[in-house]
Amino acid sequence: MRAARVVRMQNVDLFGPIGLNHYLILSALLFVTGVAGVLLRRNIIVLLMSIELMLNAVNISFIAFGKYMNKLDGQVLVFFVMTIAAAEAAVGLAIAVNIFKRYKEVNIRFFEHLKG
Amino acid sequence: MGESAFEITINGVKLVLVFLLMVQMVPVLVWLERRGSGFIQNRFGPNRVGPLGLMQLLADAVKFLTKEEFVPKAATKLLFYAAPVFALLPGTLAFSAIPMASPLKWGEHTFLIQGYEIGVGIVFILAISSLAAYTILMAGWGSGNKFSLMGALRASAQTISYELALGLSIVGIIMMYGTFNLTDMIHAQEGALQFQAFGYTVSSGFLPNWGIFYQPLAAVLFFAATFAESNRLPFDLAEGEAELVAGFHTEYGGFKMLLFFIGEYGHMMVASGLMATFFFGGYNIPWTTTEQVYQWALGLTGSADWGSALTSAVHFGMFFAKLAVFLWIFIWVRWTLPRFRYDQLMDLGWKTMLPWALANTIITALIVFVVSQTW
Amino acid sequence: MTADTFLFWLLAILTLVSGLGVVLVANPIYSALCLAMTMVGVSAIFATLGALFIAGVQMIVYAGAVMVLFVMVLMLFDLRTEIATFSRGRFSGAVKIAVVGLLAGLLAGVFAMTTALSDGIAPSADQADATKSLGALLFTKYVFGFEALGILLLVIAIGVVGLARSKGGTHAKR
Repeated sequence: MRAARVVRMQNVDLFGPIGLNHYLILSALLFVTGVAGVLLRRNIIVLLMSIELMLNAVNISFIAFGKYMNKLDGQVLVFFVMTIAAAEAAVGLAIAVNIFKRYKEVNIRFFEHLKG
Repeated sequence: MGESAFEITINGVKLVLVFLLMVQMVPVLVWLERRGSGFIQNRFGPNRVGPLGLMQLLADAVKFLTKEEFVPKAATKLLFYAAPVFALLPGTLAFSAIPMASPLKWGEHTFLIQGYEIGVGIVFILAISSLAAYTILMAGWGSGNKFSLMGALRASAQTISYELALGLSIVGIIMMYGTFNLTDMIHAQEGALQFQAFGYTVSSGFLPNWGIFYQPLAAVLFFAATFAESNRLPFDLAEGEAELVAGFHTEYGGFKMLLFFIGEYGHMMVASGLMATFFFGGYNIPWTTTEQVYQWALGLTGSADWGSALTSAVHFGMFFAKLAVFLWIFIWVRWTLPRFRYDQLMDLGWKTMLPWALANTIITALIVFVVSQTW
Repeated sequence: MTADTFLFWLLAILTLVSGLGVVLVANPIYSALCLAMTMVGVSAIFATLGALFIAGVQMIVYAGAVMVLFVMVLMLFDLRTEIATFSRGRFSGAVKIAVVGLLAGLLAGVFAMTTALSDGIAPSADQADATKSLGALLFTKYVFGFEALGILLLVIAIGVVGLARSKGGTHAKR
């Protein structure tokens, strides 16, 4: 609702030429999809994948800002994010494989007893 | 794509032509492989159908097309059908980005003799060929067969392991020429060997200015890694009759198998084309520059348009000669060397080729830095 | 509709649909393949934004390496169906509402911020030399971060080898 009002107020043309807004909205939608995946799915590997989705969404907005502000810093940050994401995926998958070997199951319901 | 409707049309047609060229080379290569293996192993190979057995290709095609359409019961149908189609993509897209001749200038139009030009050509080709692992996994898992799955896991693990060595071996070349663009690289390799170091000009009359003389280690590593990437013999661990039947394409037959075949030969063609482009001067004739060939063609034909066309044609022939040499080496190696064991393969990739590629990168960086200084 | 606009909408729809597929499809293998598709779409979006090198790296690192790892692990486990794809209960309902709220907040932020920013911002046209300047930037202004990432990667490589060390096979300690 609030978003809609802002649209009308600032008179942003959604269906006209592509601008920074379009990329940012796309990024926001992808990010929220990722958040929903992390919070709602139960498979630990799908959780990791949703995190990757969120990181990708952030990357889109980095690149879009970089282009529209005429700076390359955005691309450098994307570089860093990618590295971190790859590392995170490696660690996450190693843990997931270990969990699967131990419990024969990747549903997070089965190792909730780690809760303190 | 182009400025006028005419150029756009031509460029669109060109894309189709490059694809058809690649696909049509496959039967020729299959024939060459079978005759070549016969020659190497001191037997005949197919020699009954047509002259030199050339009609065997047509007979094979008819056989492939009329085979039974078979899907295993346990297969995941979507992936099972999607995998062979996707197998075509990486090879085709990557091959389209390799320049095959000097641009054709006709009137005010300029036509590149390649599918499309991309500023970051190498990165694009690496990116596209890194997608090849998916087709293997999709085929292996989609078949619903444990041997297929094991073959797919082996093959894709091999592909992503050797991609590291492959990518790193090219970094030296990229640093040396200072560009990602394949056309610029080819231009840098024109003429006879000549380079500048410490303010002096070093030149040699009897060596062409090819990348292999600057980056011999990279050339060896790159070529070895492409063998692993295309799952060819010394590294064809994806298949193994004794242990895995035929690997990820055990369950495939007929036309679907043919698509995998085209994909594999497409990989070989991309590898050979890149080898020629990076290390052997691309479409240039050794010891000459594009300009010299153009002047010669101009003298022969007397018109700028036809001169340019003749130049392109000559360069196209040269590129294909180089491509053919590397494709023959692929076949030659396949029928000469024994295969590795899987752990030997992984050791070679991670413990030998990766460190050497890294060392090559660091040493090249140092040399490029030192040589570029003026003191 | 110009070519740029068409390309953006095509890629945006592709990315969003495959992104939704990651969350909604029950079979984790399809969800991984959807994510790979999303990565390719995001890479294409980078290319339309002129960041060609980053687009290539995105394909190589994400689509070519990270997602292949995911798909490999999933296929190795062979999890065709799941017991419960989504979590149920009051907590999840609250989460769904919160996610919608987050989306609204983000969108509002997007509009509020960019309209403030977009005065006099023109997209950069020349990207020919961008890769070179990207490299220069990486090794000058961001060199500390770069080195830190190098160390991080080393630590993680060792950690993962330790975590995933197998207790059999050809490389096992005897």
